[in-house]
Amino acid sequence: MTQPINNEASNAPRPNRPGGGLRSSAADYARTAKGVLFSSMFRYIVRRVIWGILMLLVVSALTFVIFYLLPAGDPAAIRAGRYATPARIAQIRHQLGLDRPVYYQYWVYMKALVVHFDFGTSFKTNLPVGGEIFRRLPVTFSVAIGAVIIWVAIGIPVGIISAIKRRSWLDRVTMGGSLVAISAPVYWLGLIALFLFSKDVGVIKVFGGSGSYVPFFQDPGAWFSSLILPWFVLAAAFTAFYARMVRGNLIETMNEDFIRTARAKGLSERRVVFRHGLRAALTPVVTMAGLDIGTLLGGAVLTETVFNIPGIGRLAYDSIIGSDLPMIQGTVLFGAFFIISANLIVDVLYAFLDPRVRY
Amino acid sequence: MNGCSNQSRRRFGRLRAGSLGVVTVLLLGALAFTVTGCGTKAKNTITVLSAGDVDYLDPGLAYYQFSYEVLYPVDRPLISYKAGSTDYQPDMAASLPTVSDGGKTFTVHLRTGVKFAPPVNREVTSADVKYAIERGFAQSVPNPYAGVYFGTLVGIPTTSPATPKGLDIPGIETPNKSTIVFKLTKPSGVFVGALSLPLTAPVPEEYASKFDNKKQSDYGFHQIASGPYMIKNNKAGTVTGVGYVAKQKITLVRNPNWDSKTDFRPAKADEVIFSEGFQDSTVLARKILAGTGDVNGDTPIPATEMQSIMANSSQKKQLFFTPVSGTRFIPLNMSKPPFDNIDVRKAVAYVLDRDAMRKTRGGILSGKIATHFIDPGFGTHGFDQSGGFGFDPFPSPGFKGDVAKAKAEMKKAGFPSGMYTGPTLTMVADNVPPGSDTAKVVVNSLGKIGFKVNLIAQAHATMYTDFCNVLKAEPNICPNVGWQADFAEPETLLDATFNGTAIIPRNNSNWPQLNDPAINAAMAKAKVIVDPLKRYQAWGKIDEMITNTAAAVPWLWENWPTLFSSRVDPALQLWNGGSPDVAFMSVK
Repeated sequence: MTQPINNEASNAPRPNRPGGGLRSSAADYARTAKGVLFSSMFRYIVRRVIWGILMLLVVSALTFVIFYLLPAGDPAAIRAGRYATPARIAQIRHQLGLDRPVYYQYWVYMKALVVHFDFGTSFKTNLPVGGEIFRRLPVTFSVAIGAVIIWVAIGIPVGIISAIKRRSWLDRVTMGGSLVAISAPVYWLGLIALFLFSKDVGVIKVFGGSGSYVPFFQDPGAWFSSLILPWFVLAAAFTAFYARMVRGNLIETMNEDFIRTARAKGLSERRVVFRHGLRAALTPVVTMAGLDIGTLLGGAVLTETVFNIPGIGRLAYDSIIGSDLPMIQGTVLFGAFFIISANLIVDVLYAFLDPRVRY
Repeated sequence: MNGCSNQSRRRFGRLRAGSLGVVTVLLLGALAFTVTGCGTKAKNTITVLSAGDVDYLDPGLAYYQFSYEVLYPVDRPLISYKAGSTDYQPDMAASLPTVSDGGKTFTVHLRTGVKFAPPVNREVTSADVKYAIERGFAQSVPNPYAGVYFGTLVGIPTTSPATPKGLDIPGIETPNKSTIVFKLTKPSGVFVGALSLPLTAPVPEEYASKFDNKKQSDYGFHQIASGPYMIKNNKAGTVTGVGYVAKQKITLVRNPNWDSKTDFRPAKADEVIFSEGFQDSTVLARKILAGTGDVNGDTPIPATEMQSIMANSSQKKQLFFTPVSGTRFIPLNMSKPPFDNIDVRKAVAYVLDRDAMRKTRGGILSGKIATHFIDPGFGTHGFDQSGGFGFDPFPSPGFKGDVAKAKAEMKKAGFPSGMYTGPTLTMVADNVPPGSDTAKVVVNSLGKIGFKVNLIAQAHATMYTDFCNVLKAEPNICPNVGWQADFAEPETLLDATFNGTAIIPRNNSNWPQLNDPAINAAMAKAKVIVDPLKRYQAWGKIDEMITNTAAAVPWLWENWPTLFSSRVDPALQLWNGGSPDVAFMSVK
């Protein structure tokens, strides 16, 4: 069934290769095509990375401008305390460099960041911002990745089953349950989970409670126990949302012509669903997952707050409350970095998921 | 589509089983690890649960109530307090100061045998106390109150030096290793009280100078204890990453150089852990009741939990209420109409439903309704002198507001109908409860006499630094302000908030902008009275004068609820708003 790809391939077989000229030409083409794909993809990635960096610059500049344009609390006055005279506040403002024009402060910040990878020092705690964020990064990773595993492992299969077993009792139960999970506020769900299942304040004392987080390398068991409730709480709405999305996409895809063709060719239903239907139905899911994972890596504020998990989300929230510009800037940049990176990864994945996508 | 093959059915069955499997594995895994989970706690460890963190670990910078709670068992000021008392207790000092020269000289003898914690390990001397206070005047250690309470020392620098290097205040003399003499330019009634502030806790210059002589001192991250406990540190003295993890945990361990004979604190616990980040106060309260935490550090117990605890006879004895030595009040900006008119202000004082306002903060358990500014926590230190609970110049039935009297005052102010007809008022309030709820009650009360209010909601810090504390930006009403005393002297409650000479363009705390020459003069006189009883009498009178101007309407003498677990013996810092005193607490 293999057809000659072009004239050169068909006219110049290479007999020294096993398998004959036509197959060899097709392999060459495949290699060339792959080469073209990868080279164009490489260019695309480079272009997107440059755009990503520009986007981070815009985000950082916007954060600066918003902080100064909107009422956000005066960091110098907060630091100076209630008895400080205007002269004392002016001294502190000078110490923090807040008496310089905003563009100059931005320049100094970016210079330190680019040249020394220095995110500055917290106005509130005097601690280095970079150190604080990197210290909390594994915590946020732990929370996000566990939740992602749960929602992917549950949400997608449930969506598929619901789509295939449409209008069955299973479909009705899971979709009804998903509505509840989507509607339940994370904070409320977190409290319910704690009061039901946490070891200290729960009715059924099973899992680690609020404030029980310990790093993985300190005690893997306690780490796991402390995160199981946050994972499920954080994943609940996502699981429900993804299940509904997969179901909807799959139902729509299964009505497409190419599915009918696949069935007409006599392929098994399993092959039709998984090889053809699901592949097309999952493309938008991957887009959403990329964005959601990126956002979560920037911090899950509510989950981290209710379970007292010292992640980046909590840090961002505390920084905003305390008008701590360097810390706000650092957490915003990290959040933006993760979202941009996740977007890029998703776009690259498209090429593999959907053969129609070219760069 | 509907006719699934057996194969696909099996496949979907596997899919379903797979997702159930993930859940089961996770749950079983967690169950398996339950035994090794949290909750392992040393037997003689006290765990304090808090929502926030300290402002600083440097005794020269710390100013939060929670910071004092952490630092007083660590850094010994010249004077402090026993648990459950507001009476001065010599701490680093061997006895209370000797006052001479008409209240201008204060001589303090230090205890001998008190040693700094590792890695300094030497005996504390008077030079360490002198350096501790001097560094508070440097730009690198911007102490928030040094200028207010120590600004009358002889030879205070007119401009703050960048660092404490070479700074020598002549008004602090150290004739020998165990004596320190303070010389003031004028008598001070509050100087003894000021010696109880953490700025007077000794700091070893030879160790601290390398941290202090930076643009911003980071001595707090390397601080050296003189008390029974120290923040867990490494060999170099660094506490960050060891005993201090910002916004997560502070661990106090025993100071190996502490000698119980030199101290009045029992310090029975071997370890104290301040576990931070418990933003949900309901969870925090229930953890204490469950015994996985021992006491609330910086967060009040929510009203619903308090009511439930008070209804439970066994839990009731674990909950304590302490007056915070401060008052919540509604300042009325007198710098512009309509509150430049005393009759309008009096109308507001009559019409406010203070009972409803108190309900927004938890009702009767949150404290007594305030009728003047000196809090019942002061007791004989000014509260009784200002008339105590009997002084209420703007009474109303059940504190629910008296509309008829308010309207009568409005008529006196030139509003014939008794209803306000002027422009809309501005009000800047908290954007979250309970402050936002209080603001709504105030708006509702004001509406009863015709006021229309433009309510602007802001974050708490922004409300202060960008609006209420800035003369040019100050609205007519700031309904969410209050003031807590630094120590048990009425001056610390009334001077910054109502003295006309204290009005400044930014960071202003005289929110009503009250500038009454008679009150200013009375304060100037009261400040230099050395005799305590006469001083309290004078400030009691000033309290009455301020209240009668209706420049601000006091509405809550707040109580602080402290909940202890059943596994500890409770102890309270009454002088610090009812915070737990971990140096006096013990595990049963």
